[in-house]
Amino acid sequence: MSDMSSEHVAKIIDFLRNGRKAEDVSLEDVMRLAELMAESFQSFFKTMDLAIYAELGEMAREIACMKEELALLRLSDMRDEHIPTAGRELDAIVEATEEATNTIMSAAEEIMSADVADVDAYQALVGEKVIDIFQACSFQDITGQRISKVVSTLNALDKRITTLVEKLKIMRINDVAGDETPAEKRARELMLHGPQFKGEGVSQDDIDAFF
Amino acid sequence: MALDTSIPVLVVDDYKTMIRIIRNLLKQLGFEDVDEAADGTEALGKMKERRYGLVISDWNMEPMTGYELLKQVRSDSSLSKTPFIMVTAESKTENVIAAKKAGVNNYIVKPFNAPTLKSKIEAVFGD
Repeated sequence: MSDMSSEHVAKIIDFLRNGRKAEDVSLEDVMRLAELMAESFQSFFKTMDLAIYAELGEMAREIACMKEELALLRLSDMRDEHIPTAGRELDAIVEATEEATNTIMSAAEEIMSADVADVDAYQALVGEKVIDIFQACSFQDITGQRISKVVSTLNALDKRITTLVEKLKIMRINDVAGDETPAEKRARELMLHGPQFKGEGVSQDDIDAFF
Repeated sequence: MALDTSIPVLVVDDYKTMIRIIRNLLKQLGFEDVDEAADGTEALGKMKERRYGLVISDWNMEPMTGYELLKQVRSDSSLSKTPFIMVTAESKTENVIAAKKAGVNNYIVKPFNAPTLKSKIEAVFGD
């Protein structure tokens, strides 16, 4: 290939060295130059053809293989079914806890503001409101079950993503948040912070000592 | 010296439930004049309309956080002396230090109870 290239390059140089001025260059000259250029590239691409063809074939096989692997991971099930269901479970948890909290607080407020002068009426009211509080606390059983389902979904998702990352050999990209808006950044930071787990952060006693 | 429970208190939190809890705890402690705001921006607006004797604010709120509210309050000469207690579920050391540097009077970690709230209010007023 190198001999052919040298030969063709020499031809082009000869052509250019003929001392043609711009006004003397005819369409025929341009065509000749294009022909010489094409000849020189042709010999180069001839040797490249097979290598590129082989490389493209390998890439096509990799893509087909990857598609099969992705199909086995059933990611569409996660997107279409499991994740939306988990979202609905979490919405239901928020709703149930809010409802229970309001019921309990209303009961407590009624007890707080009740007239204690009429002992019988006061006792009856307290008894009734305590039952309301007990009933409201039953939300914990249902939300516990809902949370377990969400945790299962997260575990399944984690497993599939880990498998996917391993199969695709995805490198960690640190700057994926490049297109993040300030509002998205803030929401993410709030999500990452939030309440501390037991044993993490500092205690109220530590804070008191600090103040 | 007895705690002056006649002072107007502003409770700032984006969770209505939390506001309700704090309002009830304050009521239990004898504070009856309690206003509320859902975030720092609303709180700042209310503080410019009325002089509060105490602000009790959450940290995590949108669009203006309790920390940003604290800094705004401390940088405004007409509001800078207002006693300010931060109430938050976040107890990271850096947050506590940042709040202290910004001039918070006390810092309460959620969840908390009436005696804790009372002791912190008393500490703020030097009782």
